[in-house]
Amino acid sequence: MSFPLIEHTCWRCGQSSEQESEAASLFCKFCNSLQRPVVDYFEFFGFDKSLTIDSAELQRRYYLLSRQLHPDRYTRATETERNFSLEATSILNDGYRVLRDPVQRAEYILKESGFDIGEQRSKDVPPELLEEVFDLNVALDVLRSGDAGALTELEASRERFVEMQNEIDADLELKFRQYDAAPEPERHELLTSIRSVLNRRRYIRNLLQEVNKEFATREA
Amino acid sequence: MAYSDKVLDHYNSPRNVGSLDKKDPHVGTGLVGAPECGDVMKLQIRVNPDTGVIEDAKFKTFGCGSAIASSSLATEMLKGRTVDEAGQIKNTQIVNELSLPPVKIHCSVLAEDAIKAAIEDYRAKQGAPAGGALQQSV
Repeated sequence: MSFPLIEHTCWRCGQSSEQESEAASLFCKFCNSLQRPVVDYFEFFGFDKSLTIDSAELQRRYYLLSRQLHPDRYTRATETERNFSLEATSILNDGYRVLRDPVQRAEYILKESGFDIGEQRSKDVPPELLEEVFDLNVALDVLRSGDAGALTELEASRERFVEMQNEIDADLELKFRQYDAAPEPERHELLTSIRSVLNRRRYIRNLLQEVNKEFATREA
Repeated sequence: MAYSDKVLDHYNSPRNVGSLDKKDPHVGTGLVGAPECGDVMKLQIRVNPDTGVIEDAKFKTFGCGSAIASSSLATEMLKGRTVDEAGQIKNTQIVNELSLPPVKIHCSVLAEDAIKAAIEDYRAKQGAPAGGALQQSV
């Protein structure tokens, strides 16, 4: 994927240059002064918008940019650059946190592509998933109210949830690679399916937390 | 954040917890969920076939206090209403009654969705035999 050429004019020296991405514009080619940072995490780090990322390379860029953008370096700079440095550092840290985590990275792409995770209505959730989660919760409720004998079953469901989560993560990894390799027209459908896997993952994670909480209470 | 007294009341002593027979033709079941918080809510109504009035309503919710309170209140509001009247219930009524803060409004939306889903399920059950009868009479 390549970005269209963008004309960028430096706020300080006024010279314009055409560049492949906004990311390249963190510093002016001519006078080397800091520019207003882009807010898109992928562009900021100079990555293509992909669900799989080379985490070693991400870390390398993070450290490099941290050094280059650190507000301490701009204490004697103009106010504009000081502000840009603060803004850039905050985008850098938020972006690193999101991009290095596969689930958050996927949620970020979903949001950028118009799927709002927080605004989902129940119609977006397949009924089979709701049935499954509801039944698992009922079973967990029964075990919770049970005596010490329920412990073995509780342990079994914990193992089951961990296993389910591992399966989900493997499935996600596969879907991420499919998305990255897919041509644009097929991507929307893939994102829809990724979102439903992420929803299921969230439900399973909650169930796992509930089981763990139950163990903590019993042990206390 | 502090819950309102009404939320606490419904949370501590939820009304109408339980389930109705899903296969009963006069029972409508709504199962909805909010994936972002991991909530699942099941709401059921039993309608008197002669009067169209909801005689019983039950719920079971796995989720936060506000989600439980919203569905508990919803079952109270449903009883004694006709199916059409029940369809008019808006989440804002639940928000006002429970004094839900903005971050918990989605819980009331979920309860409204559950009511709608239960009504839809009930109507689908009623519609099916009626359609069948029509076809027979042709």
